[in-house]
Amino acid sequence: MKLKRQSAVLAVVAASAVMLAACGSDNNSGVAGAQAAGKSANVACGGKNTLKASGSTAQANAMSRFTQAFGATCSDQDINYNGNGSGAGVKEFTGKQTDFAGSDSALSAEKGEIEKAKQRCGAPAWNLPMVFGPIAITYKLDGVDDLALDGKTLAGIFSGKITKWNAPEIAKLNAGKKLPDQKITVIFRSDESGTTDNFQKYLKTAGGWDKGTGKSFNGGVGEGAKGNDGTSQALKNAKGGITYNEWSFAQAQKLNVAKIVNSGGGQPVELNAASAAKAVEAAKFKDEGSKDLELNLDSIYGTKTAGAYPLMLATYEIACSKYPDADTGKAVKAFLSVAAQGGQEGLDQNGYVKLPKQFSDKLLASINAIQ
Amino acid sequence: MTTTELERPARPPVFHHLSTGRKARNHLATVLVSLAFLIALVPLVWLLATVVIKGWRALVSPDWFTHSLKGVLPDQFAGGIYHALYGSLAQALVCAVIAVPIGILAAIYLVEYGRGWLARLTTFMVDILSGVPSIVAALFIFALWISTFGLEQSAFAVSLALVLLMLPVVVRSCEEMLRLVPQELREASYALGIPKWKTIVRVVLPTALSGIVTGSMLALARVLGETAPVLVLVGYSQSINFNIFDGNMTSLPLFIYNQFTNPTAAGQLRIWGAALTLILLVMLFNLIATVISRFSAIKTK
Repeated sequence: MKLKRQSAVLAVVAASAVMLAACGSDNNSGVAGAQAAGKSANVACGGKNTLKASGSTAQANAMSRFTQAFGATCSDQDINYNGNGSGAGVKEFTGKQTDFAGSDSALSAEKGEIEKAKQRCGAPAWNLPMVFGPIAITYKLDGVDDLALDGKTLAGIFSGKITKWNAPEIAKLNAGKKLPDQKITVIFRSDESGTTDNFQKYLKTAGGWDKGTGKSFNGGVGEGAKGNDGTSQALKNAKGGITYNEWSFAQAQKLNVAKIVNSGGGQPVELNAASAAKAVEAAKFKDEGSKDLELNLDSIYGTKTAGAYPLMLATYEIACSKYPDADTGKAVKAFLSVAAQGGQEGLDQNGYVKLPKQFSDKLLASINAIQ
Repeated sequence: MTTTELERPARPPVFHHLSTGRKARNHLATVLVSLAFLIALVPLVWLLATVVIKGWRALVSPDWFTHSLKGVLPDQFAGGIYHALYGSLAQALVCAVIAVPIGILAAIYLVEYGRGWLARLTTFMVDILSGVPSIVAALFIFALWISTFGLEQSAFAVSLALVLLMLPVVVRSCEEMLRLVPQELREASYALGIPKWKTIVRVVLPTALSGIVTGSMLALARVLGETAPVLVLVGYSQSINFNIFDGNMTSLPLFIYNQFTNPTAAGQLRIWGAALTLILLVMLFNLIATVISRFSAIKTK
């Protein structure tokens, strides 16, 4: 009797599980407000059905857009991207867990990554810079909503040499504006982050930063906060605070973004889609003419092009030049072609740079050479 | 002697009237205890209220429980958590299918058969296992399943790590329940000439069943929210994947973790919505446990 009652309960649980399994759907098309993904020309779909990739969290939202465009162009094909950090992404790629990696830095020879990737692929792996996310200098200063800074001043502020908002260095860049006599509160990322790494590299190239680079902040001043979320929250609560954020967070949290005078001098550059694209356009590669598109980052950080925004984080897709398994190669190639074309639509809404035509053409040439 | 005289106590009561001081102290203690209770309640109510206020909007969307996030843009209010809900349930149920039988058998051994060094060793090991942090369990399975055996990341690997976390809880609760079964029941059974194994199967287990089921359900609810194993042992996916042995599979904690990188309002809503769903799911399991134990409890009369 009792056992019967129990099996009844179990049956109810099992039945609801089956019902749950039956009513799920992957089909989200036709949702109100959904934009049609951009068209991608000349994409040869096919190959492996579901690709697997992992790595940089900075490009996670761009990946969502690429994935949507991929599904729209190549129906029946899908990709899973796991944003678990650049280091993990490269490890999983060389360990054959994933089909390609997303990383905020190119494969490093010192860490032996180039060699490991070569072993994994049976051919050299290529760094393909696909996603550019500008880093915004955000600040909170009562009565000031238009502020210009340059590399030297930023290096001074973030190393504690400039401590007041009305310091002569800042005043010089903001002639005619009233700056308060207030202490500057520096807020930095307390966790290891590619954003910090790129920010410090920028300071080194453009501002003579001598504190060293790397994923943790070396400035030695200010207060730390974890993640983009943490720093934007801390900024909102700090009087006279300044920090650096991924652009998407600055947009979403409606923070004040400083204009930057780039290494060419001239007018302060506002951070927007056009100014960021200009810097990408002027970017140079380490080895011009090679299919491996590792960037010469100094050409971006130290850009002298008028109206180019110099501070940004580049994310590479690291893929094999020739895959041991042709099916995988075909699918990776299809996905990357879609990402470089139709996937670019609307990227600026999520705080990324839409690749300029000239740049994406170079990228496509490399992608098309993947086997 | 009249009856009233008989009913009168032999000695008049000593504390007929309580002094004001005692009353005051009694009231003070009552107030303090109630206050402590209320203070303990504050974080719980606060947390629940925050999650409900920020997350209910996601749950009332028609697609929330029936659709995945496939093809949904980061800043779009669309799609749902069906894929994550399925992942959480599948991983937890597979874990339960492995951990509950092993746990019950281990508990039976400890209570009915265990004597000497082996029983002491088992108890000791269960104690150690219950103190293992979830990330250590996850890394152990990673080292074994992926590094040593060379198998791919999968939802099944997550289930294996969850087994390590669930097993000690099941063993512990079953052990307690079996010990509660009166010795007289066993003796009565032996007196009728029934062998020990049959006594355990037919007398001891049914008596303890409601407690065992409740304990297992609570252990299941406990592992549902584990984050560390899903971060290490399986990848994120925005689509539905029914296969626990192959490919990425999202669970609710992984879904929440993944949406942290999405600063848009839609992303924030998804985080709170998924948190609320997880709380509701755990609550549902606790409710099922209560119902099962109510239905399967031994009738005392």
